[in-house]
Amino acid sequence: METKRSRYILLGLTLLCVFLIGVSSLREGIMDPLRTGVGYLLVPIQSGVNAVGAGIYKDLTDYGKLKTALSEKEELERRVGELIEENNRLQAGQQELNRLRELYQLDQEYMQYETIGARVIAKDSGDWFQVFRINKGSEDGVQVDSNVIAGGGLIGIVTDVGANYATVRSIIDDLSRVSAMGLRTGDKCIVAGDLTLYRDGRLSITNITKDGDIQDGDQIVTSNISSKFLPGILIGYAADVTIDSERLTKSGYLIPVADFDDLQEVLVIMETKETGDSQLGALERSGN
Amino acid sequence: MKRILINLALMILAFTIQTCIFPLIPFFSASPNLLLIMTFSLGFIYGKDSGMLYGFFAGILLDLFGGGSFGFYSLLFIYIGYLNGIFAQYYYEDYITLPMVLAIGNELTYNLYIYIFQFLIRKRLDFLYYLENIIIPEIIFTVVTTLLIYRLFLFVSRKLEEMEQRRDTNLV
Repeated sequence: METKRSRYILLGLTLLCVFLIGVSSLREGIMDPLRTGVGYLLVPIQSGVNAVGAGIYKDLTDYGKLKTALSEKEELERRVGELIEENNRLQAGQQELNRLRELYQLDQEYMQYETIGARVIAKDSGDWFQVFRINKGSEDGVQVDSNVIAGGGLIGIVTDVGANYATVRSIIDDLSRVSAMGLRTGDKCIVAGDLTLYRDGRLSITNITKDGDIQDGDQIVTSNISSKFLPGILIGYAADVTIDSERLTKSGYLIPVADFDDLQEVLVIMETKETGDSQLGALERSGN
Repeated sequence: MKRILINLALMILAFTIQTCIFPLIPFFSASPNLLLIMTFSLGFIYGKDSGMLYGFFAGILLDLFGGGSFGFYSLLFIYIGYLNGIFAQYYYEDYITLPMVLAIGNELTYNLYIYIFQFLIRKRLDFLYYLENIIIPEIIFTVVTTLLIYRLFLFVSRKLEEMEQRRDTNLV
């Protein structure tokens, strides 16, 4: 008798889950109210535990850091000197660049984006997915498809947003694909995350046309034809570009500039690609 | 009732530790799957029905966190709770071998489920790579953690039982 009841419950729950999977695959965002509601409860807990954990961990490592700090200080002072010198040189170059840009009226390119800082409060458990959660959400103006950067390079994109949190998929996630281009030539390519490559600190670059000129060491930035990424954000540097076996395309690897191992703070770009109109963007997404 | 609430609270705690603390520790190349351990321990200790419901709760937590199809984890965790509940008839308090074997079986099921439905269907065929670099490290970490947590659980559930019994006798 009891076994029979268990089976009915099992069957009921199974059908419920299958139904939920079906519904949420067909209509993205349908579970958002529930996620947001639970977010009000869980996110403060996550933030708190994260802060406590980070605090304890910091205390433990502080002593070790002190030892290396002195030698680092000397190294950094030397580096500051170098950078001042380099900065002077670059400023001279910048002035020349500004003059030339005015000539070519290119000054709207590589604009400065407005960003807000956010703290990484949780990460997907296990190693299958490179997804993390930040403590800023729609109340702070973060939207789905907001680009996320850190350490001078692209980190990922917001896939899901609640009132006080947002979920970010890193570009190193196996599902991630970014439309990109070589900065030097403007030739297009696709930067894809791959779990089997990430352990070596690499992503893959594919779909470079046969005549496309992307060479080892070239800077790869987000492309101006990408539907979700703002143009001109640095992703990393190309490496080992070779021609594919079918001789129609080339592919290679990308070494990212951002450090994904120790992410604690990130910057979220407030502007999204869809002309900044979030309602229009939402319509486009639900439409397809 | 009290027991259920305490177990649910422990699950939320496990989930929080798993997502907020473990990623901070850099030398954890893999991390133990605490929610999986809790689900199967509860199923193993309390039986099919409880296992299923605790599994459902754990799955919901994971589904709420991820941005993918809602129900993906819930579906798996219901079955983990249910199937481990079947072994509850062999439950014997100080018997640790069976829980260890179950832990390995559950980890394999969990990882294969993710591999097949999230990677294989996108033609990521290099199964041996995933096995070597992700699945086996996670299994090892989880089995070691199970050794500790399972005992903690037994302790907590024994205490709770004692408390309930004492209250019952008081009522009588």
